[in-house]
Amino acid sequence: MAGEISKVCVIGAGVMGSGIAAQVANAGIKVLLLDILPKDGNNRNAVAEGAVARALKTDPAPFMSAAAAKLIECGNIEDDLARVAECDWIVEVVLERLDVKQALYHRLEAVRRPGTAISSNTSTIPLKVLLEGMPESFAHDFMITHFFNPPRYMRLMELVTGPATDQALAARVAAFCDVKLGKSVVACHDSPGFIANRLGVFWMTGAVTETPEIGLTIEEADAIMGSPFGVPKTGVFGLSDLVGLDLMPHVNASMAGALPKHDEFHAINRDIPVVRKLLETGYTGRKGRGGFYRINKTGGKRVKETIDFATGEFRLELKPNLPELAAAGKDVRKLLEAPGRVGTYAWNVMGRTLAYAAKLVPEAADDITSIDEAMRLGYNWKWGPFELIDKVGVDWFVSRLRAENIAVAPILEAAAGRTFYRVEGGKRQYLGLDGAYHNLTRPDGVLLLEDLKLAAKPVLKNGSAAVWDIGDGVLCFEFTSKSNSLDDQILALLQKAIALVKEKHKALVIYNEGSNFSVGANVGLALFAANIAAWSQVEALIATGQEMMQKLKYAPFPVVAAPSGMALGGGCEFLLHSDAVQAHSETYAGLVECGIGLLPGWGGCKEMLGRWATDPSMPRGPMPAPTKVFEMISTAKVGRSAADARDMLILRSGDGVTMNRYRLLADAKAKALSLVEGYKPPEAREIVLPGPSGKVAMDQAVAGFARLGQATKHDIVVGGELATVLTGGGTDIIDTVKETKILELERESFLRLLKTSATLARIEHMLETGKPLRN
Amino acid sequence: MQVYNAPLRDMRFVLHELHDSAAHMQAIDRTDVTQDLIDSILEEAAKFAQDILLPINASGDEEGCRYENGVVRTPKGFKDAYTRFCENGWSALASPAEFGGQELPEVLGKMVEEMQCSANLSFGLYPGLTHGAVLALLGHATEELKARYLPKMIEGTWSGTMNLTEAHCGTDLGLLRTKAVPQPDGSYKITGNKIFISAGEHDLTENIIHLVLARLPDAPKGIKGISLFLVPKFIPTDDGRPGQRNGVTCAGIEHKMGLKASATCQLVFEEATGWLVGEPNRGMHSMFTMMNAERLSVGIQGLGVTETAYQSAVAYAKDRLQGRSLAGTKYPDKAADPIIVHPDVRRTLMTVRAYVEGCRALSGWVAKALDLETKATDPALRQESEDFVALMTPVVKAMFTDLSFELSSMALQVYGGHGYIRDHGMEQLVRDARITMIYEGANGIQALDLVGRKLPAHMGRLMRGFFHPVQQFIEDNASDPNVLPLANAFGALQQATAHLAQAGMKDPEEAGAAATDYLRLLGLVALGYMWARTAKIAAEKLPAANGEAGFYKAKLTTAQFFNDRLLPQAGALWSAIKAGKASMMALEEAAF
Repeated sequence: MAGEISKVCVIGAGVMGSGIAAQVANAGIKVLLLDILPKDGNNRNAVAEGAVARALKTDPAPFMSAAAAKLIECGNIEDDLARVAECDWIVEVVLERLDVKQALYHRLEAVRRPGTAISSNTSTIPLKVLLEGMPESFAHDFMITHFFNPPRYMRLMELVTGPATDQALAARVAAFCDVKLGKSVVACHDSPGFIANRLGVFWMTGAVTETPEIGLTIEEADAIMGSPFGVPKTGVFGLSDLVGLDLMPHVNASMAGALPKHDEFHAINRDIPVVRKLLETGYTGRKGRGGFYRINKTGGKRVKETIDFATGEFRLELKPNLPELAAAGKDVRKLLEAPGRVGTYAWNVMGRTLAYAAKLVPEAADDITSIDEAMRLGYNWKWGPFELIDKVGVDWFVSRLRAENIAVAPILEAAAGRTFYRVEGGKRQYLGLDGAYHNLTRPDGVLLLEDLKLAAKPVLKNGSAAVWDIGDGVLCFEFTSKSNSLDDQILALLQKAIALVKEKHKALVIYNEGSNFSVGANVGLALFAANIAAWSQVEALIATGQEMMQKLKYAPFPVVAAPSGMALGGGCEFLLHSDAVQAHSETYAGLVECGIGLLPGWGGCKEMLGRWATDPSMPRGPMPAPTKVFEMISTAKVGRSAADARDMLILRSGDGVTMNRYRLLADAKAKALSLVEGYKPPEAREIVLPGPSGKVAMDQAVAGFARLGQATKHDIVVGGELATVLTGGGTDIIDTVKETKILELERESFLRLLKTSATLARIEHMLETGKPLRN
Repeated sequence: MQVYNAPLRDMRFVLHELHDSAAHMQAIDRTDVTQDLIDSILEEAAKFAQDILLPINASGDEEGCRYENGVVRTPKGFKDAYTRFCENGWSALASPAEFGGQELPEVLGKMVEEMQCSANLSFGLYPGLTHGAVLALLGHATEELKARYLPKMIEGTWSGTMNLTEAHCGTDLGLLRTKAVPQPDGSYKITGNKIFISAGEHDLTENIIHLVLARLPDAPKGIKGISLFLVPKFIPTDDGRPGQRNGVTCAGIEHKMGLKASATCQLVFEEATGWLVGEPNRGMHSMFTMMNAERLSVGIQGLGVTETAYQSAVAYAKDRLQGRSLAGTKYPDKAADPIIVHPDVRRTLMTVRAYVEGCRALSGWVAKALDLETKATDPALRQESEDFVALMTPVVKAMFTDLSFELSSMALQVYGGHGYIRDHGMEQLVRDARITMIYEGANGIQALDLVGRKLPAHMGRLMRGFFHPVQQFIEDNASDPNVLPLANAFGALQQATAHLAQAGMKDPEEAGAAATDYLRLLGLVALGYMWARTAKIAAEKLPAANGEAGFYKAKLTTAQFFNDRLLPQAGALWSAIKAGKASMMALEEAAF
């Protein structure tokens, strides 16, 4: 199809360039990655190749699989620039210098195919400046595509087009970034810093400047500017350390240079001696010796320290004790009104940031939704600025601004007596500059429970789960428990959901909009039950779980699981018992039970054995499949992407991957509907397992690891039980083993493990520290 | 008359047969403490309690402590008894050898304590508080303080106290006001008023060592700003004699319902010299070492008093002739049958007996863990034992003392009107028992400690040391019909525990509303478990028991009575817990 983007050229292989290239490759699209010639050496592609090699070792990984890296072809701009003609989109990610960029543009203009989209990833240079002196043909195909670091994980992409830009071409690039690269594309005006950085830099600069002036410690500031506002726990100072303190002066200088003289940013952009001193002594953030926070390892222990604004020296991290903050709780307005330093800081930083955000409509974007989306996805704010203003109340906010002689932006005037968002007729609406409410529309192919919930009630519901009708005969099963942990209530509702679909619907999708699909069974409940020796309760939970998983698998209708984020333990077992999986590319699946001294008890062992036993790539005989599964489960392996899950056979060949989180449910629904016609439940498998001799081999392997110090005392016990299950217990090698037999072995081994104090200690340690106990 | 003969046969049963003292001594590496040694110490302790302490119990109650010009005099005979107590080495029994103690295991120490409390609760308080203070100093004081004070306290020449309460704060110690100002020489000047200080002033010892909670000048508000100080009545000289009189004086003693021979003092600290024990602002932590030990001891106090009430009631029931047996005359030669023939008197006596023996068995289990938590050779066992002690401390404290008041009142009932007048000493036991429900943390607070702190800690880990052995025992004896009542009660306890864990997490008031019933439920099941194990041993030994057949038969019968008549309360308690807080909290305050 004409206009389809099937190959992309990325020029500039720095962290951002190689990250963008990796994400394009992650989508299965070929990439030509070019950079300059190396200073020395014979390999003229060394710079780009080095970047790919580094990216393969980077954590968090820019690549979703090693295979993706093979889609990148490296080159250099001296030998290979003409090859941009092979590509449908050219992304420029070179130095933030106008002369360098324009020199490249001129060279590109000579070799590119006309009509090929060209975009710059600049974060500071306006589009109109980039285009100065460029031919009209170039301007026609040119735009800014501003990605965030790291490009694989940050879901925001800001798109800036100019008056000359071909809108159809821009729409094609936007659609590509949305569907293929999984980005939420926000249209921005050609104003300095676009949206997210304009606002983010204002907010962070204010937060840092105000702290010493109000006399707060860094910990106190981070606590105030953290969870009450829906800002990630890292806080502003933690975030500064993460992005790099050394960037702050550059970014602020370029922002100050680009913004008009009357902009409020100039007033808060003040020199902070402590920051200067930190930079002079090599404290550039986490990539350097530390930043506002550092880990001091002198004296053998790892001690977290903080810079003290008053003394300019590091001291032990102090837990903040702010009664006013505690008193405000989750009430944002109460926090902004809090007495003393807490309220002053909250208002001076966030109050002014919100006022600043309000004037970015129409300066930086057409509407408030773009601003909110940019801050949610670019800075991981839970609520965008206008959502926050709704929380504190528009009228209260405006009157406070007036009282302090802060300019009130037109959009705030327009909102007087109202809210920025409202729900009308089951639709979310936002307030426009015209003073009218407009429906919030989603692109085609986006279906969200969040929207659905505004207009509908769940078909079924209890304390831990809900079932929604998503149309066309498909029901959606949603976990609603804390962290989507699985418990008896989820199983109970699943049973009802299965009956309901059977009765009057066509298919079931298992999906939710939490940050993780599910982190597994609620082991806290299991641990408590184990501690009070309520074995029959635990047994029932395992048996019911197995029964429900089997019902899901053999239901007379298609079941599609649609995970995003972590799908661990029992969460992974949901995937394994579905007919198909439509996974978000950022799915991290695995059977991790061994880490807490247990093993998969809801059929996870059974399903993995079945999959590997029938995988054509496996050698013949009863031993290879159990060995492979043993390797994965005993090490609690978790895939780091949907691609990894495919390698682990958690995803099968027919299963799909969705790059954009927003599109997951629609894709899963389509997948479910595609399976309805002529659907037959799977046949129960019987497999041949090696029996006791196979267990001996696995036990020996674990003993070997123990001798090398790689397996602990309890690893041997857990490994032994896992080996018993995976080799079929006392089965004879000439018999076939039924699913029910493996399930029985799972149950028995699970309970035996839960009765050991070492397993209970592991679970307790995991719950209390979030880290595995190696006992 | 108060009747007390130390229940030595039962104590030996608990120590050797039920809790296997030989295996226990192995686990704490004290095989030198043989069964013979234990038995002979128990016999000596019994003699001391019966011959020295019991005779001054009623007279001490009658006379009470006297206060005059800052001086407190204990009743007649107390000073003499105390001197002999120390001379005979009872003061040093369970204290560490390093400072002159005999370092005998707690399993033995708790039995000796019980005897002292049976014979004379008021007396028992003086050495009991010293022992608690010794533990706190051992755990938290500097080596210098330990060397200076511990030997004298362990030999009993000096006694100890704990100073927490002030007029405006008891349970909520965060409010306390006593001040401690640092001095250039490293000591502190302590100023403030304390009330309800047991043994705060008396004439038994040459010096009194007060452990005092106070605030440093820059201390944070509330419970996290409290430090612990050692303040001696006389500042010791370098050669260990009581030296200069310190700025702590007794402003008066309380006039109480019972426990009259124990001096409950108001103490005034006026720039008294003191020394910091433990870290600044960590006073509650240091004090809890003392308080936990004391809480267990208060449970034992309750048990001790109940034993005497039981024995006295039995003696009276056998002696007092009233009415005829419902089954027909038993003693035609007498004017009437002794009242022990009557079912309701039997109900009373069996109830008291079943609880007393059950509690003694349970105290033996907890005392074992008390030894193991510090002395077990296996570190995992040390941790498990610490968990178990933490769990059972509020149960022993609250249940034993609630029962003590209930049961001594029941025992008094056997005497009829003669129980209510002073002559027989029964009303003294009821009055003495009453305080044990209140001090060292009122029983309502104990119940909150259990459900609010102990139950949820580490996702129920503390429960494991109790629930797992009981479950295992039930599984191992599934075919034994006598274990069925325990299985049922344990089932109710498991359900109540799971229910409370969830309901209490959602709404702390639900936990608070259930706390007292839950504590009793857990305690009742613990007694049921002790009785089930007791019955199993008794049944095994009976065929070859010869002269001891009567003892084992009585155990079997009492176990049966406990299963039939007392353990079924578990179901009622579970029903009450399940009902939740609604009707408890519904009434408007004004309607009260």
